[in-house]
Amino acid sequence: MNDENFVQVKNLRKVYENGHEAIKDVSFSVKKGDLVCLLGPSGCGKTTIFNMLAGLLTPTSGDILFDGKSVVKTAPKDRQIGYVFQNYALYPHMTVLQNVMFPLTVGKNKRPKAEAEKVARKYMNLTQIDEFADQKPDQLSGGQQQRVAIARALVQEPKILLMDEPLSNLDARLRLKIREEIRSLVKKVGITTLFVTHDQEEALSIGDKIILFNDGVIQQDDLGQNLYSEPNNYFVANFVGNPVIDNFSVEVKDGKVTGSDFEIAVSDLKQDRFKHELKDGKYVLSVRPENILPAESGNVKVTIQDIELIGRERILKFNHDGIQARSLVDLETPIKAGDNINLKMRLDRIFIFTPEGERVY
Amino acid sequence: MKQNQKRAWLFLAPTIIFVTGFSIFPILRAFVMSFQGGPLIALDWTGFSNYQYIFKDPEFWTAIKNTIIYALVSVPVALAISIMLAWLIFSKVKRKSFFETTFFMPYVTSTIAIGIVFRYIFNGDYGLLNFVLKALHLPAPNWIDDPSMSLTTIIIFGVWTSLAFNIVILMGALRNIDPNYYTIADMYGASGTEKFWRITMPQLIPTIAFLLTMNIIAAFKVYTSVYALFNGQAGVGNSATTAVFYIYNKFQIVGTPGVAMAATVVLFLIILFITFLQRKMMKKIGEQ
Repeated sequence: MNDENFVQVKNLRKVYENGHEAIKDVSFSVKKGDLVCLLGPSGCGKTTIFNMLAGLLTPTSGDILFDGKSVVKTAPKDRQIGYVFQNYALYPHMTVLQNVMFPLTVGKNKRPKAEAEKVARKYMNLTQIDEFADQKPDQLSGGQQQRVAIARALVQEPKILLMDEPLSNLDARLRLKIREEIRSLVKKVGITTLFVTHDQEEALSIGDKIILFNDGVIQQDDLGQNLYSEPNNYFVANFVGNPVIDNFSVEVKDGKVTGSDFEIAVSDLKQDRFKHELKDGKYVLSVRPENILPAESGNVKVTIQDIELIGRERILKFNHDGIQARSLVDLETPIKAGDNINLKMRLDRIFIFTPEGERVY
Repeated sequence: MKQNQKRAWLFLAPTIIFVTGFSIFPILRAFVMSFQGGPLIALDWTGFSNYQYIFKDPEFWTAIKNTIIYALVSVPVALAISIMLAWLIFSKVKRKSFFETTFFMPYVTSTIAIGIVFRYIFNGDYGLLNFVLKALHLPAPNWIDDPSMSLTTIIIFGVWTSLAFNIVILMGALRNIDPNYYTIADMYGASGTEKFWRITMPQLIPTIAFLLTMNIIAAFKVYTSVYALFNGQAGVGNSATTAVFYIYNKFQIVGTPGVAMAATVVLFLIILFITFLQRKMMKKIGEQ
């Protein structure tokens, strides 16, 4: 029915009692069965949106629709959602089985004990925690607790699963493993999932699509790869990507883009990549470190200050116009710290932003 | 290493001296005295005769019986009321600190002072309590002067005085419960009763165990409230005599310290046994 717009958020706005406008006119939709990441730095409003989806907060204005029905006035328990908290919030005095069974033993969803246990066992099997059934949560590792929390969120067979930074309590190595597990699990169950995180790598690896927030506004609602290769604005370009993007201050005048020691003819830029007309004035030229590489013919002359090894690649660090910038090269490239070299940008991969952050090229 | 150890003893010495002098020695002295007879300045060994005396003394048995009834009734009742009130304040009241302060006030007030006020409240003829009871057409007994009522009066007073401490400690414990536990329960539509029995109570078990131990020990040592309520007596015709009252009486009034110490040792053993039993019980409940 509403598979394309299974979850729909329309012109959502939230102003807290202290006058802080956490969410300013946010609209997006989520396809049925998709795993969508809400990404953004701390304080960008992603948790506020989440709590409004869950019904823990009431929006100031706007609407939220699940499967075509507005749920703004629906109590959390009737929204058919499963919620996984950041700290899991497992009941420490109950065993794993009792924790997973809990949603089926309270309220109007109460079922006979045998039936509740059957359903609980089914989801415990799915999340591979059968063997811990009689243990208490504090006897389990972080990853196992996480799976208990997910199993508990799933037993009521909700239509939507909400996960609030579910990986932030795990160590780095486990995080990689668990995020794959979560993805395969929610795909197996086929549940529509929204996932909050501040970690871009996590979002890129797990999400079918990513909604990037900042300052209570959606910066970009797109596939992960587009966030990286076609950022909407300066914020997105700088938030996504590791190592971070290089930014150069430039001035456009007389058909030329002029940096502190390089020049690019506007006519050399690809015409179909212009979003707006490039008028004369000050701009920021941004280029990803892998798109600015050493070349004899390069027009950016720099002195390499430092080299950082990151496994298969090396980052050449140089100072340009008082700002540190980076070039990402192969391990074999024979360049040492202190070398003077020329760098060349791939002009079809650079971005030009106005000082306000709007993308022009 | 060796030198360090010597120096450590030096630092420990003040504490060791104080603990030995004021805690360990008196206990041992009491134990020794329970086997001695005569006045304090001329004690002599009398073997088990003090113990024989108290076990034959009907007054001792009344005291022990009263104390046990007092402890076993007042402690659970007070705890149940405290849990109820703490939960009410915690979940329903907005200005918690005001109520907490109000409830804590009795704890910082002298029991003697409160007891004197309660003497007036409990007064059979012009007391506030009976005024209310009569207005509601309920029986208005003579709380203070009727021997058959004195134990009940002490229990009511005991319940009231122990509320303060219990509520403050329970409020602390309630605050420590992760609010997400309730959020999750709300999301699954758990009712208030379900949340209380499935989340709050199990989370409170360690605190309840602590309070139970503290309250039971305090209840077995009840003295001041009896003294204050009955104007220095143990109720009309000693009807509300308690173990500590008996000990005090034998020591100071009758002048038989040996008998008093024998009763002290018995009381000590009873408290030890009940505390032990109760800890085992709480552990069982905690495991379930």
